[in-house]
Amino acid sequence: MTAVSAGQSRGASVRGRVELPRVPVMVERRPASGELGEGPPRDAAEWRRAVVYFETAPKGAFESEEREDVHARMDQRSETFVPHLLAVTVGTTVDFPNDDRTYHNVFSLSKPKRFDLGRYAAGRSKSVRFDRPGVVRVFCEIHSHMNAFILVFTHRFFGVTDPDGRYQIDGVPPGTYTLVAWVEGTVRDSRSITVTPDSRVVEADFPLR
Amino acid sequence: MSAVRRLALPIVLVLGLCARLEAQGWPEQTATLFDGRVTLGGEATATVAPEDKGHFTYTDYERSSLQLVRLGIAAAIRPIDRVAFVVDLRAEGDTSGGNWSAIPVALYVRVRPWRDRPFDIQAGRIPPVFGVAGRHIYASDNVLIGTPLAWQYLTVLRADAVPANADELIYARSYGWQPGYSVGDDGYARGVPLATAFRYDTGVEARIGDDRSLVSVAVALTNGTLSAPGLRSSNGGPQVSTHVALHPSPAWLIGGSYADGRFVADTVRDGLPASQSGGRYPQRTIGADAEYSVGHVLLRAELVAARWTLPVLGPPPIDNPLWATGVSVEGRYKIAPGVTAALRGDHLGFNDQTGTYVTLPWDAPVSRIEGGVSWAATRHVIVRGSIQHNSRSRGLMRHETLPAAQVTLWF
Repeated sequence: MTAVSAGQSRGASVRGRVELPRVPVMVERRPASGELGEGPPRDAAEWRRAVVYFETAPKGAFESEEREDVHARMDQRSETFVPHLLAVTVGTTVDFPNDDRTYHNVFSLSKPKRFDLGRYAAGRSKSVRFDRPGVVRVFCEIHSHMNAFILVFTHRFFGVTDPDGRYQIDGVPPGTYTLVAWVEGTVRDSRSITVTPDSRVVEADFPLR
Repeated sequence: MSAVRRLALPIVLVLGLCARLEAQGWPEQTATLFDGRVTLGGEATATVAPEDKGHFTYTDYERSSLQLVRLGIAAAIRPIDRVAFVVDLRAEGDTSGGNWSAIPVALYVRVRPWRDRPFDIQAGRIPPVFGVAGRHIYASDNVLIGTPLAWQYLTVLRADAVPANADELIYARSYGWQPGYSVGDDGYARGVPLATAFRYDTGVEARIGDDRSLVSVAVALTNGTLSAPGLRSSNGGPQVSTHVALHPSPAWLIGGSYADGRFVADTVRDGLPASQSGGRYPQRTIGADAEYSVGHVLLRAELVAARWTLPVLGPPPIDNPLWATGVSVEGRYKIAPGVTAALRGDHLGFNDQTGTYVTLPWDAPVSRIEGGVSWAATRHVIVRGSIQHNSRSRGLMRHETLPAAQVTLWF
């Protein structure tokens, strides 16, 4: 009898850390000279995220997956999109609740998905389904400094870093892959990794300079 | 050379620049330097329109607002927390061959004593607290190319020259782009709008509350007046202006404004007879504004009512005060992502003056209706088209229809 390893039955985990050289500067308000004062203070904690993803999906990645009615969430809070970076698979519906005391007007003119949700008040939410892969830039028409990224993947082999820069991608079948680290609209680094049938965990760090 | 041909090159250059920047990955967010201590924004706008022979769209920079080429750079410099220096440099020209001007539209320091409390003080060349349209000077804030009449249309009044009697005033009707009077500066020069959207005044302003507050109040003390702002005082005293805004819900913004400042310039007052030289000769202005928005609809209305008092020098006497009232109503609707249509109706009226032979409004009432569409090719490149019809009861041209097209690149 042949023993089946954990890596063969459920796939391995690819994990690691994306080390940003420094905390990115939060986007400030456009210096509109017609303002009568400053806007409210904002939270900069959301600006440390990166996405690590497989450049090409493992063979058979799309064959057995059943598309459910998957929802993700991007809040509007203190004139900031939270999270600032969201990664989803094709077919996901993203909800955009307004948790502020003012109006927001979420929109995108990106090619994978053009939409404009109009103005809606606190406590209300509108949704958008993303059916095409790509990078979607999200903005608020009223507050020019509000912006976010939604990365839409055709496969599930991606991970968004936590506040410490750590990521983990589970269920990776054996093979050799190119792993990409993406930060604020730019591919910052890539590296090749190999997952063997006996692999349980593959470490891949991205010490970005 | 036609206006279209004159502007062809600038528009091609702007479009080419846009395409180039897009191809290179135009930054999708505000540029920051020195760890966020410096924030930059800017706008380049080119507008093409036929020659405005009726001078309906001329601004106090003596150029048509429909033939504007504008380059603006704004910077906020924050050397320490809660203190920012804001500078807005603007170069303007027009496609009819007029002169270029380059000025710091805004140059002020902003202090926010408490980080979490909406209280701000601004000092320097500051934006007007009065009304709302005067703070929306850039194309990226607007769908329509034209500016509301109360904030742009040149009346026949001047701060540096005044009519000797009612006949002189009535004679100048509809010639706001170059009225001439016998008292004060005896040359021909532009008149003033009720309030100008194109120049900022100099002084200090304080605001309590912000967009999140139920009530916000702004008060300013400045050198000039709404219609004739300036770097230094030339009219013998400061202007007090205020704006109170109510935000009963996110959908509604309701405001009221008041401004009072000496209008007639010192150079005129010094030359008046002793019986008249002590007068204050103010411009007092009241305003009301309202905005309602929901979904893809935005409705905005503004009223500006100005009242001037001029020296009464000879018969037939000027019947003070001189009233001018501007009302504009605008609606916008987003047709699709990046595509917005807008329509604005505008009217400017004046009270009567009695001359030797006639009684007439002291300037010719004027109306305008403007419709247009804006299309955001990308977030930072906006193309607009509009058409406006102007009508006036007197003047070189009593009716004029002006189409216009505009390209704006902003960041």
